[in-house]
Amino acid sequence: MLKRPSSRRNSGDGQITLNLVPMMDTFVTLIGFLLYTMAFVAMVLVETPLPTASPNEVAEKLKEKPLQLTVSFRKEETEIWSPFQKIAPKVFKNLPDGGLDLKGIHEELVSVKKQFPKEDHVVLAPTGGMTYENIIAAMDSIRILDATDPAIFVKNEKTGMDEAQKLLFPQVVFGNILGSD
Amino acid sequence: MPAFRSIRKRTKRKKLNNAFELQLTSLIDVLVIILVFLLKSYQTSMNNLSTVPGLQMPISATLDEPRDSHQVIITPEGITFENERILDFIQSPDSAGATEGQYAFNKSDLKEDGKLITPLYDALVKAREKGELLRAKSSARDAQGNPMPFDGILAITADKRVQYDTIRKIMYTAGSAGYKIFRFIAQKKDT
Repeated sequence: MLKRPSSRRNSGDGQITLNLVPMMDTFVTLIGFLLYTMAFVAMVLVETPLPTASPNEVAEKLKEKPLQLTVSFRKEETEIWSPFQKIAPKVFKNLPDGGLDLKGIHEELVSVKKQFPKEDHVVLAPTGGMTYENIIAAMDSIRILDATDPAIFVKNEKTGMDEAQKLLFPQVVFGNILGSD
Repeated sequence: MPAFRSIRKRTKRKKLNNAFELQLTSLIDVLVIILVFLLKSYQTSMNNLSTVPGLQMPISATLDEPRDSHQVIITPEGITFENERILDFIQSPDSAGATEGQYAFNKSDLKEDGKLITPLYDALVKAREKGELLRAKSSARDAQGNPMPFDGILAITADKRVQYDTIRKIMYTAGSAGYKIFRFIAQKKDT
């Protein structure tokens, strides 16, 4: 017959208290590190090259008239046109509050992209008084293809497959750096 | 007998108070939530781009993250290149608290029909020469064994009120100093 277990030894309530202090130390250290190295303002960039023109390149380009899509921002309107008359020019009056008609500009550029799906260059010609905020907003509507826009496909020469375009006219160049208004 | 019981109870209560333990579980919960939030909003990319107090950046929907390059910052007060103020715009009494910047240059700071900003040009040329010297000393070489060419990239961080006329002057100046690619910096749009 087994001996009866000692009631004094087993009198504890059986609960184990987890020592959370080292864990808390780790968390506090991690939070301090993350707060110290955190960027509170997330920044993005829009890249644009300085327009350069060598006579040979220009002569080569002009063999076949390019689209050279141009967006000219004026004081009260925006015009989308091609110097080689590849598209019919279209003018968008600014909104009553003075802002650009970004929706209209974007929709027109989507229809141009449908006509010229392989084209990815656009020339911007803002006026001297246009603010940086408006320039960035215009570049967004010119460069980015929204999820709600109709899909535009371009055939990949390497794979032979049609690929959906993610950007509208991503290569933006300022056409009037040397000039004035 | 009841008196003895009361004394026993009192000693028991005292012992309980002495063995008081802090409940850390709820505190741990809060710390975990903060940690998850910070990890979610933590950016892995590191760049040396900076901002200055009072700079109001425009918001962009583009997703390209900035990379290291020389940086010029334009505020309504002046132009900063590589964290060093190189030019102050003329401030008029009307410009204090104005919604649009004045960005009036001193005539002595401009050249070539007002297109080239002399202090900025000098600073850009100095930075380019320094970069070329470092590349010449570096062991990194191209296929022909020459030093790697100067990348000529300039990040432009501007206040949203800065006008294109000022940005055009900066691009013209940078182009004259050998910079061929401009990166316009904006604040990422919240998705």
